[in-house]
Amino acid sequence: MKFRMRHADRIVGVFTLLAFVLLVGVLILMGANQRWFSKNYTYFAQFPTAGSVQPGTAILHKGFQVGTIRRVSLNEGGSVDAEFSIQDSYNHLMRTHSLLELVTSPIGLGSQLLLHAGRSPEPLPEESFVPTADSTEGQALIELELVDIPPKDDTITRLLSNVNPLLESTSKTVTTLNRTLTELNRALAGQSEGPLGAIISDASAAVARLPPTLDGINEMVVEARGSAVALLDSANAIADNIETMSAAFADPTGLVPKLLDPKGSIATFLDDKNALYNRVMTMLAEAERSVRSLREISASLSAEMPKLAVVLEEGKTALVSAQDVLEGLKNNPLLKGGITEREEQDSLYSSMREGAFE
Amino acid sequence: MIERIGASVREKASSFLYALAFFGRVVDRSLRFFRRRQVGYKVLVFQILFTGVEALLVNAVMAMAIGAAIIVIGSSLLPQFGQSRLMYDIMVIVITKELGPLLTAFIVIARSGTAIATELAGMVVGHEIEAYISVGVDPISFLVVPRVLGMVSSLVLLSIYFNLFGLLGSFLVVQLIKPIAFAEYFQSLLAALAPGDILSGMAKSLVFGVIVSTVASYQGFSVGRASTEIPVAGIRAVGQSFVLCIFADVLITLAQYA
Repeated sequence: MKFRMRHADRIVGVFTLLAFVLLVGVLILMGANQRWFSKNYTYFAQFPTAGSVQPGTAILHKGFQVGTIRRVSLNEGGSVDAEFSIQDSYNHLMRTHSLLELVTSPIGLGSQLLLHAGRSPEPLPEESFVPTADSTEGQALIELELVDIPPKDDTITRLLSNVNPLLESTSKTVTTLNRTLTELNRALAGQSEGPLGAIISDASAAVARLPPTLDGINEMVVEARGSAVALLDSANAIADNIETMSAAFADPTGLVPKLLDPKGSIATFLDDKNALYNRVMTMLAEAERSVRSLREISASLSAEMPKLAVVLEEGKTALVSAQDVLEGLKNNPLLKGGITEREEQDSLYSSMREGAFE
Repeated sequence: MIERIGASVREKASSFLYALAFFGRVVDRSLRFFRRRQVGYKVLVFQILFTGVEALLVNAVMAMAIGAAIIVIGSSLLPQFGQSRLMYDIMVIVITKELGPLLTAFIVIARSGTAIATELAGMVVGHEIEAYISVGVDPISFLVVPRVLGMVSSLVLLSIYFNLFGLLGSFLVVQLIKPIAFAEYFQSLLAALAPGDILSGMAKSLVFGVIVSTVASYQGFSVGRASTEIPVAGIRAVGQSFVLCIFADVLITLAQYA
């Protein structure tokens, strides 16, 4: 008789007993692993729909199951109230500002309910309400960075989560651009009270002041031109006199030899009943008059110089403001980085005679 | 033609009612089996030995092969979608709930279903059944019930072994191809496994055991006097067992997920 036939009872007994022992062992390990007899902490949350949040749905934190959805019910407000439990070994994750996030796969591979721990050290009491990431409260927590959200491990989800901030940034840029254009339009319409409006307003005032200033400059130029012509005439007369005098000195038969000749002008001068002397004095008086006139012209010109300088300074300031406005318009502050910083140079003018030579 | 159709329908209905009555009698005798402690107990032990113990090797190889295939494919494909944890859920569904009981039933149909059908058919052709009846032994109590109980027990036990080999033995096979951490694998598997999954697989095995053993016994007894009917009975037993097992599997699965 074969061995197995002789020991059929034993073989079947071992076969049966071993199967049940292994089954019981697996059940015990399952119970230990799934924490059938451990304490769980209960919390509440609210979702817009129960589509992906069914009883038994796992709550994950960084890939580990930390809890389970226990019960869902539709409340009177149309939202879904969910009761969920967190394992005692992970209950330290339940802190103030902790939130739940329902992540749905974009390619239809189901959804995951993620728990993100709050950054506050204060523990969340049991049976507290935990906001979801898509709720207003959850959004505020995320924006204030009060919750620790790890990066997604799904490639597509990660890609989408990178695209979302980019879209938000683009949206913010477009909003800012719209606001800037609106501000620019208001500034151009004279309704803005901001810095741009002030610049436009200053430029407008400076441009308005330009025509009277230019008229003043024109008048001064005409006046200065008249004074300069008179001065030039006097200078020409002086130069003619000097030329005549030089020619007289240079001529051997002229005044000087005659003056130095014993029979000449000195003797005559000393003995001509002051005729020559009177003539010389007359000439000196004419020369003195010419010098006085020249001094008066010079003084008049000097008195006009500060006014002229002020007018030129104002014109320069107005032109600089206008240049800033034009450059500001050309280089849009948001697109090109604003108005180029200008190094101001102090006015070189102080006075014609006040400058210290160093 | 209408007469022929009518005769066929009557014959089928009569056979179906006969089969139902046969099944009812088997159930009735099975309930009395353990109280009476007949000599059929030895037949039960041998039936478990032939159906369960001797099929264990084929069962284990198939379970490990399927488990290893799921692990290799799952660990390569699913992480690309960020769903690597789904591998354990798929293993539990395929091995414990769906494919495990069905493949175990197919193995038992191929090995023991045909054996029971042809053995009983041979006994009918050899007038052994008439001899049992003539000496006052109920052939259903003595021949069918131990086979039914043995096959049901074997299928339930084999489904437990199939789970163990499919879920744990396959890990050893995978270590040769693509090593993965045992602790992570074991913990994830236990986290994905639920008692309901194991009970579901065992319930399916129980139903399949009843179907296969009853169909094989019924087909074995259905032969006439010719020995050429014996293999035909075996073939019919296999075909009907396959169809009924798949049908029962669909019904049970629908009942679970409905």
